[in-house]
Amino acid sequence: MLSDVKTRSILIQIVLVAAVAAFAVLLVHTTFANLRARGIPVGFDFLAMPSRIVISEAILTYKSRDPYYWAIAVGLANTIFLSTLVIVFSSILGLIVGIARLSSNPLASGTCRVWVELARNSPPIVLLIFLYSLWWKVLPPVGEALNPLPGVYASMRGFVVPDVSVNLSTAGLLTAIALLVLGMSSLLVLRNMISRLALAPAGLFLVVVALWVADIRFDVEWPTFTGSNFSGGNELTPELSTILIGLTIYTTGFIAEIVRGGILSVGRGQWDAGHSLGLSRGKILRLVVIPQMLRVILPPLNSQYINVVKNSTLAIAVGYPDFLAVMNTIISKSSHSIEGVFIILGVYLLLNLTLSSAANWYNRRISIVER
Amino acid sequence: MKALSLPMPAEALPRRVRFTALLRLGKLLFGTPLNGLLTVLFGAMLVVTVPPMLRWLIIDAVLFDPDPDACREAVGACWSFVYAKSGQLLFGIYPLAERWRPAIVCLVILALLGWSVRPASWTARLLALWIATLAFIVWLMGGGFGLAEVPTASWGGLPVTLILTVVAIGIAFPVGILLALARRSTMPAVRIGAVVLIESVRGLPLLSILFVASIMMPLFLPEALLPDKFVRALVALTIFAAAYLAEVIRGGLQAISKGQYEAAAALGLPFWPMQYLIILPQAIRVVIPALANTVIVMIKNTSLVLVVGLFDLISSGKAALADPEWPSPAAETFLFIGAIFFALSFSFARFADFLERRGPVSH
Repeated sequence: MLSDVKTRSILIQIVLVAAVAAFAVLLVHTTFANLRARGIPVGFDFLAMPSRIVISEAILTYKSRDPYYWAIAVGLANTIFLSTLVIVFSSILGLIVGIARLSSNPLASGTCRVWVELARNSPPIVLLIFLYSLWWKVLPPVGEALNPLPGVYASMRGFVVPDVSVNLSTAGLLTAIALLVLGMSSLLVLRNMISRLALAPAGLFLVVVALWVADIRFDVEWPTFTGSNFSGGNELTPELSTILIGLTIYTTGFIAEIVRGGILSVGRGQWDAGHSLGLSRGKILRLVVIPQMLRVILPPLNSQYINVVKNSTLAIAVGYPDFLAVMNTIISKSSHSIEGVFIILGVYLLLNLTLSSAANWYNRRISIVER
Repeated sequence: MKALSLPMPAEALPRRVRFTALLRLGKLLFGTPLNGLLTVLFGAMLVVTVPPMLRWLIIDAVLFDPDPDACREAVGACWSFVYAKSGQLLFGIYPLAERWRPAIVCLVILALLGWSVRPASWTARLLALWIATLAFIVWLMGGGFGLAEVPTASWGGLPVTLILTVVAIGIAFPVGILLALARRSTMPAVRIGAVVLIESVRGLPLLSILFVASIMMPLFLPEALLPDKFVRALVALTIFAAAYLAEVIRGGLQAISKGQYEAAAALGLPFWPMQYLIILPQAIRVVIPALANTVIVMIKNTSLVLVVGLFDLISSGKAALADPEWPSPAAETFLFIGAIFFALSFSFARFADFLERRGPVSH
């Protein structure tokens, strides 16, 4: 009987499933026995209770008498906020550094190479702790704050940047959304009739009109220095600034290499063909190379974006309360470790699944459909 | 070369050559308006940043002066702290009298890593050598059989980083092979199990896996079986490495042509001998550059164990900084630690580049 391949494979699977199930039962049994022995209650009801934990900074409003679930949401919002900013900054910088790395100018390519090698070969957590230790060494006290750009101040207490607040009415917003949906769908229907060149300006025009209809005003509040403190503007703490700068430096190194690989993957023939059409270097890059490059770099770029979300957990090293740090505090405070662990695992898997399925969808759209 | 063939007086030659080289450099720096702009931009940036950095790093720095007050007065970096504390930075809280043991362990691991880098030494003998070395290392660090016993709680610094990297990868490699084979299995239960395991580990930050390992293991296991912190971190790192290695090896398996399987089947080889003799040797050779990259990722990742309370390089740096006799030169200390990690990972990266350029080994 064992020599029959089919029977044997079924037998192997049954044994495997049984072993896994037995192992799981054993784990659950010991876990509950351990929990009972220590008198720890199990269940998710604790989420609605007031948390009384301290979250040092948050982009959502948080008070320590808020319930646990809100503390978790606040931590998650911090993680998403941090990851989004790092992704945006390092994508822009990575594109620049990756292109500059291929420049014939030795000064530009050399400097960028040093950046890439340093970023790729140092552990991000060491980079973050190093930058954090620099903070008080390099930057002046708040009274002598540096002012590198108009409206941006840097001092020991962190960065102060202009605060941009959006001012809008619900009615205006609804009209604008309705207008946008209508306009975009009619453009979508008409896209085969009008020339492709007109499509982008038409879309842009629609957005401008919608913004005008919605009467959205961006109020910029410039920070001013008043003797001992700043008033107005947004303050970024040293912790948030360190992890933003550190992760951006780190991720830029990887994205630059992806961009460089992407540009090199577009054959020389494409450049020659562009030159023979009389296009300038910039136009070849923009019209011929970058569209082809996007296809190549999208999958690795997406895994870098997922890495940013994962690396945002390093915020714990400098004391910025990201999702994992908040969960860690909650677990040690409430001793609901099992539930906490399930929430941690679920949230990160969900975040990464969302990111990768969005990227897969976009990837399918731009990939070449072969006959 | 062209300049050399021109008929000209011998003493004029070097200047001419130097001139063309200068001209070429000039063209690269200022040949086009864009290049000129880039040169000015990057040049200005370097002029602004490099001199103050050099002044801090070397010119104004205190290098070897063992007196802490010299550092208090200096404006530059305090390297004498790193120099004076190098033992503590490298070996953590390992007993002072026994520090020769972790020192030998580090040298042995690095020497063996260097030896394993040579393509000529990739044989079954190397595997045996590694297993023997690991046993030797564990004995040397932990003691017993004639040496004073040192619990893992006192292990620290560079040996912890190296041991965690090497042992985690060492255990993860066979597990990764099994997972890769399972993921390509025709048996649905086996395949689904492998996919779920690999993808969920790859979807999680290592830090969360480390946390889960250190929080959950005391709950999962009966108290008698509970491993110490070191082993818990090692288990988490191993699971993490196995999932990543499995995907790398799966890439290699996919590169093997169907003919190889058919030929092996035609010889009447059963599953395991087929994998062991025909498929795996070829598949692993194809992915050696990718494996080297995974090793780099793991070297960098071991620095995370500090958050679960292990005494790696970063924690021993922090402990050294707590000495009240010295001004605490944190930036210098972490620069030193960063340099160690950089040296390890950069040299491994160059090795991976060399493998990639050489292309897959023909067979």
